[in-house]
Amino acid sequence: MMRATRNYLVFLRRCAALAFEGDWRYYAWMGLLTVLCLLGLNAYCRQFAHGLIVTGMSDEVSWGVYIANFTFLVGVAAAAVMMVIPVYIYKNEDLHDLVIFGELLAVAAILMCLAFVTVDLGRPDRFWHLIPGIGQFNFPRSMLSWDVLVLNGYLLLNVHICGYLLYCRYRKKKPAKWFYIPFVFIAIVWAVSIHTVTAFLYVGLGGRPFWNSSIVGPRFLASAFTAGPALIILAMQVVRRVTSTSAPAAGLSVLGKALPPPSKHRAATLEDLEVLARDLLEMASVPMETRRRILPMAEVLEVQSGGVLLQQGETDDRAFLILSGSVVVVREEGGRFRVTRTAGPGEQVGEVSALHGTPRMATAVAEEPSVVLSLPAGALRLLMESPQVNKIIRSRMSERLLITDRALMTLRSIVQVSMLINVFLLVNEVFKEFYSGNLHDASTKYLFVGLEHHHALVPWIWTAIAFNLTAMVLLVLPVSRSLKWLNLTCVLCIVGIWIEKGMGLVIPGFIPTPLGEMMEYRPSVNEALVCFGIWAFGLLCYTVFLRMSVPILQGRLSKENEAAPDGPIPAAAVPPEG
Amino acid sequence: MGRRSFLRASAVLTTGLAALAASLKPLLEMNDFPTMERFLQKYYKEMTPEEMKKVLTRIENEVEQQYKLRPHVRDLKPMDGVEYVYCLNLTRCIGCRKCVHACVAENNQSRDPEIQYIRVLRLPDGSLDVDKAEHFYAPPSVPEKGFFYMPVQCQQCKYPPCVKVCPVHATWQEPDGITVVDYDWCIGCRYCEAACPYWARRFNFTKPAAIPAERLNLDMSYLGNRPRRQGVMEKCHFCIQRTRAGRYPACLEVCPAGARKFGNILDPSSEVSYILKSKRVFIQLKEEMGTSPRFFYYFDV
Repeated sequence: MMRATRNYLVFLRRCAALAFEGDWRYYAWMGLLTVLCLLGLNAYCRQFAHGLIVTGMSDEVSWGVYIANFTFLVGVAAAAVMMVIPVYIYKNEDLHDLVIFGELLAVAAILMCLAFVTVDLGRPDRFWHLIPGIGQFNFPRSMLSWDVLVLNGYLLLNVHICGYLLYCRYRKKKPAKWFYIPFVFIAIVWAVSIHTVTAFLYVGLGGRPFWNSSIVGPRFLASAFTAGPALIILAMQVVRRVTSTSAPAAGLSVLGKALPPPSKHRAATLEDLEVLARDLLEMASVPMETRRRILPMAEVLEVQSGGVLLQQGETDDRAFLILSGSVVVVREEGGRFRVTRTAGPGEQVGEVSALHGTPRMATAVAEEPSVVLSLPAGALRLLMESPQVNKIIRSRMSERLLITDRALMTLRSIVQVSMLINVFLLVNEVFKEFYSGNLHDASTKYLFVGLEHHHALVPWIWTAIAFNLTAMVLLVLPVSRSLKWLNLTCVLCIVGIWIEKGMGLVIPGFIPTPLGEMMEYRPSVNEALVCFGIWAFGLLCYTVFLRMSVPILQGRLSKENEAAPDGPIPAAAVPPEG
Repeated sequence: MGRRSFLRASAVLTTGLAALAASLKPLLEMNDFPTMERFLQKYYKEMTPEEMKKVLTRIENEVEQQYKLRPHVRDLKPMDGVEYVYCLNLTRCIGCRKCVHACVAENNQSRDPEIQYIRVLRLPDGSLDVDKAEHFYAPPSVPEKGFFYMPVQCQQCKYPPCVKVCPVHATWQEPDGITVVDYDWCIGCRYCEAACPYWARRFNFTKPAAIPAERLNLDMSYLGNRPRRQGVMEKCHFCIQRTRAGRYPACLEVCPAGARKFGNILDPSSEVSYILKSKRVFIQLKEEMGTSPRFFYYFDV
């Protein structure tokens, strides 16, 4: 127990240390976010001291851009589930490597949500009145109490899932299914619930006809599943960019050039298999007879530092098990290089191509003089007849940091379908409001065409509609299969939906007031500063999460190299290009 | 740690702390820093009579400290067999807004920004559609030809949407039908304000400015007109400090047209019982909301 706690604390300390390491670009980015956070904090302190009078809100429009951002971000958090469902229910391999990034984004988004509701409170010092058991928690009657529960619950679920999977990867242990799979499935249902509950906050108010429409819930989900994955597409490309280098790092300069294969090789002996068994404990389950059948096919290679074991794009059927030394796997994408994993003694490289006969996904290079056992596919299969070996090799197959274009295209299809549904639902709502022409369409009129010489939101909503429609057209055209166009489309989706369901949903609900008074709303500078501060805080959190998780996923930060002095993580793993 | 890296680390740390301190500086302008006693104050319904007494004395002390006048703060309880109902005669109302100002004076409302519980709507004859209402009419004299006036305040609904949505039970309906707010329990989320179909709730966006001492109403009640703080919700409470002591609400007393009637609906001989029995046209505002207001508008017919 003591030991486990100590291990975990070391893990946390090493992760925390990572947040302070990086090149000048990383420091510049974090510095900028910190400055924005402090400006936001300053603005919030002003609001805390003087009250919400420093915002643009009034008794007429009593919720503003804080709640608008909150609503949008709940959607972003819920959308992480759109990566989880394909992976855990439909076993989608491409998205598998991205699930953790999606869930980390959910964590960052929920933190922002909680910050946005807190700054919206008139008496944040009385937050304890909300704590069940200590305060007076109006559950289940108040939808806001539901929101408190589901948001905090979702935060805990995602922190648990991400934290556990990353810690297992750090320890190079296979995650225990019972300890996270049930939570994954709970989180899927929970994600839908956080956004539905947030929609019900509005839908449940009979006095506000603009919100009191059963289509708001479905609209929230559709727009969330558009904007969320769109944000992930952009974020993943940023991760891909900053975790790769334009030139292979020093020592790996061999990459991209045709190289002679490693020079020294000899036939493998039973002792070599014993050496392997020291690090690959599952070897113990392979009977002597199988070992003898493997031997004639196996070879032992001695590779110098920089020696290439296998080259990206080639096809051959050999897999390599490392006996000593260390091998780094580097993938080239569009002229840039990224470490996708590292393999030490007892671990394998090249098994995916060997087993599936597909071209090599990446190039494997020895980082130091290494000895590896080279096995053809047949020998590997023999070895994997042992269920234990099969399990460990298969589980390690997914231990890599791959962000393929295919994965991004899968996300594109999600964005595409969701945007079509989103626009369809919007058309439904607009039709109902305008065609029936009853007395309750004043807010809709105010939003779309202006009412009684008040039209502050009109340019906004038409911008949103133009963005959403353009994005929809781009998404159904093949042109958005190119990343450049896809990125543009994603930006249009995010901005369009931020306006449509943030400002475009929250504000008009208040205008005109239930007594027919027209009073418009404009966020104050102070309010805007608080918002920027919270967004910067969220981005800061997400950057730190990525900074910690990427080296773990690459295998650069693990329990094994715990003893090594806490120097900087080797060059290739450090964010921006060198 | 080397000398250089030590110096660099301390420089970064000092800059960081200085920046943090600078960001926190506006807290020094704090209007209303809660004392530990106020921070830990219990929920209205959970206080024992002794605890309530202490709180009332504390409030009296606070007011005395600020105004040099000692108020009488009570916690009046609802009377058995009483359910309050308000009736307002739209034929008689002349739109003079005297009720609006009497209410502000009686209930010690913030004067800057001024918080008013009553909003008088000017409607064109023949329509009850509030979207056609003029809120800021200012003719040389009232009443004006072609219009009628409808004062709107908290309708004291039987099924109040505002109570349902409050996440912390800071607002509730009392047995005599008055929906009240515990100003010391409200967290200021303003969900009730969004839920109210009558726009009857008011929020203290900043600390209420001090009322001139000679205008302060010293007859106060915990759930009624005691001074409010920054960041909490308030609303019309049928002048709870008066009505629970057997007096009429201030808005009724001041009305020069006799348009306002108030009383106990459970008493068959009360004025309001007579009106609801005998008048042929009466209106519950936004009846279709299902809120069942205890505030009735009627015409003389």
